[in-house]
Amino acid sequence: MRKQFDGGDTMARVTREMVEKSGINVNQLVELLVKNAAAELTTYYYYTILRCNLIGLEGEGIKEIAEAARIEDRNHFEALVPRIYELGGKLPEDMKAFHDTSACPPASLPKNPTDTKAMLKVLVEAERCAVRGYTHICNLTAGKDHRTYDLSQSILNEEIEHESWFSEFLGEGPSGHFMRKGEYSPFVSKFLR
Amino acid sequence: MRCMKEFSKEELARYDGKNGSPAYVAYRGKVYDLSGSFLWKNGNHQVLHNAGVDLTDAIEQAPHSGDTLERFRVVGTLQAAGSKDS
Repeated sequence: MRKQFDGGDTMARVTREMVEKSGINVNQLVELLVKNAAAELTTYYYYTILRCNLIGLEGEGIKEIAEAARIEDRNHFEALVPRIYELGGKLPEDMKAFHDTSACPPASLPKNPTDTKAMLKVLVEAERCAVRGYTHICNLTAGKDHRTYDLSQSILNEEIEHESWFSEFLGEGPSGHFMRKGEYSPFVSKFLR
Repeated sequence: MRCMKEFSKEELARYDGKNGSPAYVAYRGKVYDLSGSFLWKNGNHQVLHNAGVDLTDAIEQAPHSGDTLERFRVVGTLQAAGSKDS
């Protein structure tokens, strides 16, 4: 790691050493976390557009739950950033490059934004990509990097709920959930203090 | 029916998605063109996987099944291990 600062030691040296010692390639882990942070921030942006276009009676029906997923994905970005820096990484200085490094494709507005089913398909596929991404990080870090595992598992729990919400709206089956009212990020909020 | 190209391991390695080359991966004997995929830019996937190789074993460990590849174009087959180059 290139030493950029004059504090006498490298950022969170022991934190990084412990993760390295467990057998994880820390540079690869940091790169994965940056890609997933990019996915969260870009999803927050694209979900803003989707939510704004959920109009009419049908759109209104899913607007609130799309908003809950949107805010929670922004919270996921906020929660990931400190861990990236703790592990000696950083966010790219170029935001366009950051966008393009995303672990998931853009959740772009469908051709017909008044087609609520098409909107739900975009939303559910974005969540499915996130579920795969955090499952992967959990698998890599379980029993090895306890903090990243705790963080990734917390985010994964929320992404699973997001997927189930949109899947239920698509009529794919009961999710067992009722949407959250008021409080966001029941799993990730402990990382947002 | 048109015969599909048969790739050796060495030939497949040339399609690593870098420096303008297409990004091909093999899975269960079929070779797929992933060049157009957002998730395979520059022949790299989720940091840990590179194009130009047989990903059969890696996909078994992945958080998705091999069915994910079905939406991509099949460009050939991978020579079985131990086969001579054609």
